[in-house]
Amino acid sequence: MASIQLDRINKVYGDRYPAIHDLSFEIEDGEFMVFVGPSGCGKSTALRMVAGLETISSGELKIGDKVVNNVDPKDRDIAMVFQSYALYPHKTVRENIAFPLRMAGVPKDEINERVNEAARILELTRHLDRKPAKLSGGQRQRVAMGRAIVRRPQAFLMDEPLSNLDAKLRVQMRAEIVKLQRSLGVTTIYVTHDQVEAMTMGDRVTVLKAGRLQQIDTPQNLYTRPANVFVAAFIGSPSMNLYEASLDGVDLRLGSQVITLPDAIFASRPSLRAYSGRKLIVGIRPEDIDDADVTDKRGYAEIAAPVTLVEALGAETMVHLAVDAPWVDAEDPDAVVEGGAQRTAVGRFSPRTQLRAGDRARLAVSAENLHFFDPNTRNSIW
Amino acid sequence: MADRAPHDFGKTVINAAALLLVLSYALPYVYLVSTSLKPAADVQQIPPSFFPDGVSLENFATVIGTAGLPNAFLNSAIVAILTTLLSLLIAVPAAYVSALYRRRITVLFLLFALVTRMVPAVSLGVPLFQIMKTLGLLDTTIGLVLAHTSTAVPLALLLMSAFFEGVPKELEEAARMDGCTRFGAFLHIILPLMPSGLAISALFSFIASWNEFLFALLLTSQNSKTAPIVIAEFNSVYGLAWGPMTAAAVLYSLPVILVTLLLQKQIVGGLTFGAVKG
Ligand SMILES: Nc1ncnc2c1ncn2[C@@H]1O[C@H](COP(=O)(O)OP(=O)(O)OP(=O)(O)O)[C@@H](O)[C@H]1O
Ligand SMILES: [Mg+2]
Repeated sequence: MASIQLDRINKVYGDRYPAIHDLSFEIEDGEFMVFVGPSGCGKSTALRMVAGLETISSGELKIGDKVVNNVDPKDRDIAMVFQSYALYPHKTVRENIAFPLRMAGVPKDEINERVNEAARILELTRHLDRKPAKLSGGQRQRVAMGRAIVRRPQAFLMDEPLSNLDAKLRVQMRAEIVKLQRSLGVTTIYVTHDQVEAMTMGDRVTVLKAGRLQQIDTPQNLYTRPANVFVAAFIGSPSMNLYEASLDGVDLRLGSQVITLPDAIFASRPSLRAYSGRKLIVGIRPEDIDDADVTDKRGYAEIAAPVTLVEALGAETMVHLAVDAPWVDAEDPDAVVEGGAQRTAVGRFSPRTQLRAGDRARLAVSAENLHFFDPNTRNSIW
Repeated sequence: MADRAPHDFGKTVINAAALLLVLSYALPYVYLVSTSLKPAADVQQIPPSFFPDGVSLENFATVIGTAGLPNAFLNSAIVAILTTLLSLLIAVPAAYVSALYRRRITVLFLLFALVTRMVPAVSLGVPLFQIMKTLGLLDTTIGLVLAHTSTAVPLALLLMSAFFEGVPKELEEAARMDGCTRFGAFLHIILPLMPSGLAISALFSFIASWNEFLFALLLTSQNSKTAPIVIAEFNSVYGLAWGPMTAAAVLYSLPVILVTLLLQKQIVGGLTFGAVKG
């Protein structure tokens, strides 16, 4: 087990724009690190550079204390789980899992013992003598995991290992992978474009966009203290509602509505005062808006907006609201724009709400939890 | 039952067409075999009979007794086997690399291989003769093997690169992560997935050499003559020795049929495309 350090790593494919730009951070020994970001942001590229499957255009990559830029993948002592699993079709499950040990020249008896142990942990014992083609998707995924853990490598690299499974199995395997990683304590990089996977699995999460690092932090901090508009919108589902607004002393003007900001906000975001008289971007999480008629918590500011759509999900009700302020695009290429060009705000309401489409809703906004961003740099205002 | 009739009718038509096609391929060969089995006296009978009146192995006995023919068969076999091995040894790694690194240059490389197949053999014959003469390889097994290899490699190269392209590149990467060198990954993981590709390439190389006439005629004279040359000489040696000639031709065709049957399973089955997701 070892730490992994990236120091100003760049990757340029051919002579095009960089796929990875000046990536620097350290993954601690035993840490579960998630790379997340929209499609094409360079997650796989970054992972494959750590694996040694892709050359590093510039910068320095260290595993443990050793610079490995020019070390062959086979000598990096890293195991990888591929999105497609990449099981060897002509080998049985047993031979697949044993393969890395055979290549390492481990004695036969020990190979047998370790393969059986891995199979036991992954509940593959009954399938050891079958070929991959005869296995279900979930079982294949386990074989791929088995091939990785049997070696006790310095690190695990996983590139969207669950994306070929159905939703239910994905949730189950998510928990199992985390449990396995905790018990083995092996440094892990896990690539996903699913922010729920990122939030639930990672000790820390690296958010990438267009080859550039956006933020590295714990899941909780990404949610409560996003570094910029992109991270704010990317983390959380439904996405944070982002609008252009202006500040006038303690009054936040959001279209025709005014929210009076509590002192607590200025205490936690000292730079915010300097924006008085200027435009800024305000972010409201769906869970921070509710129907004022069914909530009566203190600290909530009240505004009004017409309801355009109500989606009752049972435990909660999603209410779409036509806020009359300019909507801000978070520049997430994967984002599903609901309601077409006319972007609406989404509120995650208590199921007790009686609102119907067409109503003019009285909204309770948790003013303390509002997010603020500079309209030019798009970074958080702290 | 009634609603199945159109389907059965379509099937009948297809089967009939297939049968017709097979007959058009097989008829000359069937006639060759039947002629070879006729007693020597019946061979030139007019009008010719399709089925022999009596079966006789007379012609085969004559052929096997003919000086030089058993030796020519041996030469053919040696040349064809060596050509097959050498062609695969050259073409398989080259095809793998060109499939792995799809660049403009590798596409050009494959295209060039294809173009060499389009040059008529006759126009290659003369320079080839000069080259072999300079190298002192005229009338040697090695010389003929090299000549045949030069024609078999492009074919094997194109075939194998098509097969390699069907293999997901993650398999090689997985093997490298599991501790293989690139060559190790090729040997342990990629090649074992290629039984059909290897079988088909081997068969084509073997047939290309076994059937080859022109280069064998130009490059051999005494020691290394192959079977087709000696069979063709039947006409001059014995006048029109149709009977023994057909018998020799039948014998000559047997190894190809045998090799094809032997590799049938690999050729038809064992396709590994879609190996990753299955
Ligand atoms: N071999 C390659 N040659 C050229 N460009 C490439 C190559 N591989 C990736 N790219 C480009 O580099 C960028 C990053 O690709 P990468 O595969 O790392 O994205 P990703 O974040 O893994 O996306 P996804 O979620 O779709 O897997 C993309 O713009 C992609 O088109
Ligand atoms: Mg990817």
